[in-house]
Amino acid sequence: MSDIGDLQSLTSSITAVTSPFRRYLSELHEKYKVINDGAVADYIPELALAKPEWFGICVGTSEGQVFEVGDCDQLFTIQSISKAFVFGLALEDHGREYVNSKVSVEPTGEAFNSIVLDEVTNRPYNPMVNAGAIATADLIKGDNGTQRLKRMLEMFKRYTGREHDINVPVFLSEKATGYRNRAMAYLMLNFGMVSEKIDETLDLYFQQCSVLVNARDLAMLSATLANGGVNPVTQERALDERYVQDVISVMLTCGMYDGSGAWAYRVGMPAKSGVGGGITAIAPGKLGIGTFSPLLDAKGNSVRGIKVCEDLSRDFGLHLFNVATPEHNLQQWIDGDASLDDW
Amino acid sequence: MPKVVSIHSYRGGTGKSNFTANLATAVAMQGHRVAIVDTDLPSPGIHNLFGLEPEQTGKTLNSYLWSESSIEDAAYDIGDSLGIGEPGKLFLVPSSVKADDIARILKDGYDVRLMNDGFRNLVKALQLDFLFIDTHPGLSKETFLSIAISHVLILILRPDKQDYQGTAVTMDVARQLNVRKMLLAINKVHSKLNPDALKQKVEETYREPVAGIFPLSEDVVQLASEGVFCVQFPDHPVSQEFIKVAQRISEA
Repeated sequence: MSDIGDLQSLTSSITAVTSPFRRYLSELHEKYKVINDGAVADYIPELALAKPEWFGICVGTSEGQVFEVGDCDQLFTIQSISKAFVFGLALEDHGREYVNSKVSVEPTGEAFNSIVLDEVTNRPYNPMVNAGAIATADLIKGDNGTQRLKRMLEMFKRYTGREHDINVPVFLSEKATGYRNRAMAYLMLNFGMVSEKIDETLDLYFQQCSVLVNARDLAMLSATLANGGVNPVTQERALDERYVQDVISVMLTCGMYDGSGAWAYRVGMPAKSGVGGGITAIAPGKLGIGTFSPLLDAKGNSVRGIKVCEDLSRDFGLHLFNVATPEHNLQQWIDGDASLDDW
Repeated sequence: MPKVVSIHSYRGGTGKSNFTANLATAVAMQGHRVAIVDTDLPSPGIHNLFGLEPEQTGKTLNSYLWSESSIEDAAYDIGDSLGIGEPGKLFLVPSSVKADDIARILKDGYDVRLMNDGFRNLVKALQLDFLFIDTHPGLSKETFLSIAISHVLILILRPDKQDYQGTAVTMDVARQLNVRKMLLAINKVHSKLNPDALKQKVEETYREPVAGIFPLSEDVVQLASEGVFCVQFPDHPVSQEFIKVAQRISEA
């Protein structure tokens, strides 16, 4: 009987199971789990261990309800999704002006690993390409590498509400084989865009990509941004409210690698993907989506994850600029009512 | 549209399984397609009333929850042996009585999401009109689920103080979960109590209707857990009371 003290959270977790919205997500899961297009990332052996059938969908609302379907507890490495959130931490550490002086916010249309810097200012184009993310990681404060890593992990904890670890084999492989990233870092050092503690910063960058998350964490990352930077479940602030718009707008313009333009047009939800198979997407003020399926398209985005986001955006009118009445009313589907009681 | 009816009691020993078996049978006899799911995984029992032996039930609700079978493969047609004629149907999804299986449930619990999906799959696969859920007594995450998805929640209580209090707690939870319809059934009512006065008092206290009052009946006790009373003694006043409640459920 003692756990009935937390009646509210228990009833809300049950409502999340029985809600028509979860049923909608189950049907999406059924619909797309049969799609086996794409390939698991294999540039390091650890990533190639991912099972192609893994598939989880999680949605967290800004009211704090969480809907999970499929493999939502399966851990994987966050990879590039970390870049958006570390950008937020850099903004908190240094403010907008200074961060912008080191990293631009211009979409490139180039692949994530391109070695291109702005010819006039020598800045990397945006914090979502590898060069920009390394320059951003360089800005994270801390007396030493350990402290900087700890600050980063604590930041993720504020967003997701749970402790995070890094996958050491992934980190070590990335570190051992990241010649291209190392080259980019030295190129930026040459232009004075990053500090001289290159090895420490590269370690931090490889570590941030190796943070272990699950689909639920990805939903909480974006649900927190959707909720103005405050985790809607724990009510803890994860990001200074002044910088919420910075992070979300860069996700909209640059979050989906060189597929960002088409994504903004079709789906219209600021999002970030990672080669681990994750996507986190935001409907500001409403909800955050986390998807996990390691089968990637040629641009490095999760094939099933894209489809799930496309369907959710269309059916519930989650496109940022949508004004038409969507097929489904989000609140009605979350709360459930007699008309949706489809037995 | 199919209806989900959950039968719950706050404490054990209220006659919940007996009540579920009789009510579901009475509803099936009125020509409906009915299934009972025994979600009392820690202490299953309702299969006894239908004469279903553990040897006959290779697949159980446990098999489904552990992804070893579909839920409809664990559903047994028990209508024929009870003499339920077309178009009526009665199925039972039993829980495992194997000690190892019960231990595993007690240790690990189960995924309520899977249970929710299972109920829905079963209703579709067997084209059910009614799904009866026999629950484990008390309040847990698992019983919360059954309560939350019910179209009708029947709470069974005996006329004693502990049951009164527990029922009030359960009703608070049910209201939080936006249960559409609640009915009370008072069981094991001593012959000295005036049933009409009892009904009035209970309805006033809980502000929900009493659907049936069942006496502390030696006839029922005698049959105990060996058969479905209203099949064996269709003309008995207790059976008539079940038919009355069944009518109410069908029309709800």
